[in-house]
Amino acid sequence: MTAASAPPAVDLQRVHKRYGPVHAVRDVSLCIREGEFFSLLGPSGCGKTTVLRMISGFETPTEGHVYLQGRLADTIPPYRRDTNLIFQHLALFPHLDVYDNIAFGLRLRRLPRDEIGRKVRGALELVDLAGYESRRIHQLSGGQKQRIAIARALVNEPGVLLLDEPLGALDLRLRMQMQVELKQIQHRVGTTFVYVTHDQTEALTMSDRIAVMNHGTVEQIGTGREVYERPRTRFVATFLGDSNLFEARVEARGPGETLLRAAGQRLVAPPAAAGAGDAVVLCVRPERVRLLAPTGPAPAGYENRIDARVQDVIFKGAFIEYRLAAAWGAPLIAQVHADGAAAIERGAAVIVAWRRDDGVVLTE
Amino acid sequence: MNAAAAPGRTGWARGRALVVPGLLGPAVVFIAGLLLTALGILLVNSAYHFTGTRIEPRATFEAYRRFFTDPFYAGVVWEEIRLAVTTTAICLAIGYPTAYAIAKIRRPNWVIAAYILVFSPLLTSSIVRAYGWLVILSRGGLVNWLLTVTHLVAGPVRLVFNFTGVAIALVHVLLPFTVFPILSILLRMDPALREASADLGATRAQTFLRVTWPLSFPGLYAAAQLTFVLAMNAYVTPQLLGGGRVQVLPLLIYENISDLNWPLAAVEAIVLITLVWTAMFASNVLFRRRLAAAGERE
Repeated sequence: MTAASAPPAVDLQRVHKRYGPVHAVRDVSLCIREGEFFSLLGPSGCGKTTVLRMISGFETPTEGHVYLQGRLADTIPPYRRDTNLIFQHLALFPHLDVYDNIAFGLRLRRLPRDEIGRKVRGALELVDLAGYESRRIHQLSGGQKQRIAIARALVNEPGVLLLDEPLGALDLRLRMQMQVELKQIQHRVGTTFVYVTHDQTEALTMSDRIAVMNHGTVEQIGTGREVYERPRTRFVATFLGDSNLFEARVEARGPGETLLRAAGQRLVAPPAAAGAGDAVVLCVRPERVRLLAPTGPAPAGYENRIDARVQDVIFKGAFIEYRLAAAWGAPLIAQVHADGAAAIERGAAVIVAWRRDDGVVLTE
Repeated sequence: MNAAAAPGRTGWARGRALVVPGLLGPAVVFIAGLLLTALGILLVNSAYHFTGTRIEPRATFEAYRRFFTDPFYAGVVWEEIRLAVTTTAICLAIGYPTAYAIAKIRRPNWVIAAYILVFSPLLTSSIVRAYGWLVILSRGGLVNWLLTVTHLVAGPVRLVFNFTGVAIALVHVLLPFTVFPILSILLRMDPALREASADLGATRAQTFLRVTWPLSFPGLYAAAQLTFVLAMNAYVTPQLLGGGRVQVLPLLIYENISDLNWPLAAVEAIVLITLVWTAMFASNVLFRRRLAAAGERE
């Protein structure tokens, strides 16, 4: 994309935000690259919106610094920042028509009239709403309002576009369509997008990188694949998708593997930063486990084997989800690709098996 | 589908159709009935003959002729309009910033304090309030004392029993009615709209001019109408603080009724009602487009 020497679009350095006794954001450091689609993912109240508002200038960090394109931005007010924000409820101006909404920022910059007209038309074309100039806001559908909000922000050609859960109010189908469209728009304009959401699917669908937040801190930053397949904490493992978690203790560390013991069972896991005797959690994604018949042959590599019983069979379309109980009672979950084969019956005894590298050791 | 739609408005649906007229009925009958009856009586009375001591039910336009030819009445109408317009203008000038400030207060206790302060005039009887102003505004009163000791004026200024005194006291009574509609619309405004404006590059002043002001216009408009109507119809305040030197229609009406000159009182009442209604109607037409634009909500 851009040269490695270019300063990051957004750089947060050890940022804290306190509201009286509430420590809303704790020691957050983020480096968002030029042209990146970056998501802040976390449950409500995790501080992700506060981080976004510090980037946009509506909040000032209590401690730490915010840099925009390499410039210290802590004290720059929102109206002088090279960022634009798409609000959760869009905040389109109800007293102005579509044209005046989009032209709002351009007029404040005192651009010549014909240039404003050209840019507004360009922005409307970008969001596929050419010809809507004189519509009033209340005449638009939810999806159209969404696009006008995007146009109103992007027409100013901001260095960074900030989005605060803008798709939350849309129904599922429209939301999925807008996710793809947002991603396409971002490809076309090449602007840095910082997207706040509590929806993991949304974050995985659109983002180049995701920062998973919880209780005001960033738990992990990485590509969607990294945070999903290599979660670093128990929170990340459970917030993004389903997981089988085993409370375990490290027995020994071998070459290229870690030997664990969980509920009396020996388990083999990939190498981890934990010494013998340490308490850890082993995380195995439900689509990585295989269900084997208790009597059949063991496929090569499936070293981890746990006796379990099927408690529930849920057909989910593309896959079948099995709710199981391990021999010692712990709930397990397995997702099996629906390839037309007959499903295992409820109550059947099975072996839950996975390869060494399907597991991830969480040291918390 | 047809089977479900065919029975139409039975039971529950029919009950619903009766709810609105049922609930509105008493109010409509009470207000419209009384108003129309009263207006009818007024019209009939205005055309009666007054001998100087009693009324004769004989059709004549004497009262109308007297009202519209004697320059005294034109002077009263002019004074009345001047008073209502001045009061409304001052109320808006003080009320808008007040409402704006209250809408910005964050601490609940301070909000309550501000409400009590603004609405306190309504918690006192109008007579007590008027006498209070008489004391404060009189020659030896607090205001004159302050003006004199600060050398803002050489001697005491006349602040009561004239237009100024009535206007001051009216502003005091009517201010809550000005503040409330503006405040309620400002509180209803989504704070994100102002943030969106700032985010798009507007300074505080630009945000006010381009977003807050146009969106609060309906509140300002309602406040102006309410204040104007109440000022036009004020009786106690002009009576006590005008000391007979400020003549407005409500005072004349009362006077004429006491003198048994009901025809003239009726004409004055009709003129007052017409003035108020014309002002309302004209302003509605004048500001229709602005109101429609600002009234649209997402």
